[in-house]
Amino acid sequence: MKTAKTLLASIAFGLSLTALPTVVSANGVVTDQVNHLKAHLGEYSEEVSWLVEKYDGVVTTYTKKGKQTDTQQLIDYWEEVNFHSAIETQYIPIYATIWQGIYGMKTAIEEGADVATLRAEQSKLNQALWQALGAVKVAAHYQDKGVIAKVQTTEQEPTTAPAVIDDIEKRLDKVVAKYAEQLTEVATTMVHDAYLQRFEGIEGALIEQDADLVEDLEKDFNVTLPQALDGKTSVDKVRSIVETMKNKLAKARKLLVEAEQNRKDVF
Amino acid sequence: MQRRTFLQSLAAAGALSALPFGARSEAAVASAVSVNNLPELAGDLTLYLGRGEGGLYENVLQAIRQRNPKLNLEIRRGATAALANTLIAEAQAGVKRADLFWAVDTGSIGLITDAGLAKPLPADISSQLKDGFQYPSWTPVTGRVRTLPYNTERLSADKIPDSIMALADSDLSIGWAPAYASFQSFVTAMRILEGEKATANWLRGVNRHATKYAGELGVVMAVERGEVDLGFANHYYTLRLKAGKPDANVDLAFTRGDAGCLVNASGILSLTDGDLPFNFMRYLLSAEVQAYLSSEAYEIPLVNGVKAPQGLPPMASLTPPELDLRKLADLRPTLGLMREVGVL
Repeated sequence: MKTAKTLLASIAFGLSLTALPTVVSANGVVTDQVNHLKAHLGEYSEEVSWLVEKYDGVVTTYTKKGKQTDTQQLIDYWEEVNFHSAIETQYIPIYATIWQGIYGMKTAIEEGADVATLRAEQSKLNQALWQALGAVKVAAHYQDKGVIAKVQTTEQEPTTAPAVIDDIEKRLDKVVAKYAEQLTEVATTMVHDAYLQRFEGIEGALIEQDADLVEDLEKDFNVTLPQALDGKTSVDKVRSIVETMKNKLAKARKLLVEAEQNRKDVF
Repeated sequence: MQRRTFLQSLAAAGALSALPFGARSEAAVASAVSVNNLPELAGDLTLYLGRGEGGLYENVLQAIRQRNPKLNLEIRRGATAALANTLIAEAQAGVKRADLFWAVDTGSIGLITDAGLAKPLPADISSQLKDGFQYPSWTPVTGRVRTLPYNTERLSADKIPDSIMALADSDLSIGWAPAYASFQSFVTAMRILEGEKATANWLRGVNRHATKYAGELGVVMAVERGEVDLGFANHYYTLRLKAGKPDANVDLAFTRGDAGCLVNASGILSLTDGDLPFNFMRYLLSAEVQAYLSSEAYEIPLVNGVKAPQGLPPMASLTPPELDLRKLADLRPTLGLMREVGVL
């Protein structure tokens, strides 16, 4: 887990990027509530407390019923809260960690793990939920100051190479989230879409700057990441691959910005 | 038949010009016009823009805006085919939101012209364009040519057939990207030119010694690495790779007079009468914009008098097949055929 300081720095960085282009989550349309976070912070705090209590109740049930415990309710509780959309649109990396935590508990129950193991998974999930609340509070602060862009209600096409890179990074974060949600086909399709709809548009310019970097990223998009999304690879491993790709994309971004500065004028 | 038309020899052959683009008399040919001689653009225009080459189309549009402060240009961006379908749906619903449609492939242009939505072009626009690229209700902006990138360590140019159909029976290892839109346009051209049966046999034949890649840049890079002897790809991937890696082990070969050297184009059409949309088109066909897209995006200028991108032979030395590019819109039978023979 990240330290609080690192987390805040990451959030600030994440928020400085453009708003998410995709507004339909796996669980429905994101409402305009996500553009008024400050007005809903009290509600979100209550929801996180409610979730922590509900997940604790599931563990208590497990101590009595064992593997007969209904694990679907772990997912239903999370999807029921408005906080779900708030973190999905503001800071996807923690959104992915929450799903990882939910499935950590679900798997422990279904495999009949001892209660201590289940408690350890619950603890990880609780930590992710509180971190997420912190992230949303930071987002509300910056949103209130007008520093971050509104979450768009319609799909927006990035129009510059840096904007395309930002968009790809967001999409890759969502890949981790969807994989953590155990939607492996959705995650794989998202990788293909990120490659075909976004990376292909910039790789022609990038290959003029660094052919080896393009080759490396081509392999990541078409082999390394899709192969990792097989349902057996750990979420942490997939996250690690994505983080490595994002480091390469950051280098690509720098090269493309420099190339654009050196480009001749149209007229 | 063996042939070896490759970059260097093509450049020399271009001077002979016994080829289709050289046919028009000099007197009838108009050349690209400078923006300095174009009218100022003023008023409201809505452009539907298919995805282009990185941000370069955006740079062009931004430059046009800056030069024409009285122009209020609204842009809707999306996948070209999706925008074409939107235009048709809007027309069927009796709604018109777009004045112009700039598409990255000609197939989508065909959907709109076939639906009767495109307005006839003024004669001076067509007269600037190279022979073979003049159409009554739309204009190509820039072109791209199908090529055979080959590994120069594994292969010499004289070992490559100059017939695309002959490649099915060769013993060369081939890289291709069957799921890629440009490849499917090329197969559509082959189907129209050679027929369904010959195309199906060609796909089966190539499939026996081909390796699949997700995109055509991937094909070119695989050729350069020596994973395969040659590949099928649009010209600009190789030129851009060589721009970044001048010693890359890859060069370009071309077939002659068949789908293997098809020249496809991006294009624009107007859905609105009046001078403004056509004047906007004139900016895209101006000497400055054509030169910019040639030098920065390696696209082929289709207006007379503008230099082709560095590293590509002159247009006059290429021998693309005679084909109304709008027919490339007929993609559905191509996809059916590719699925039937198991390459998709």
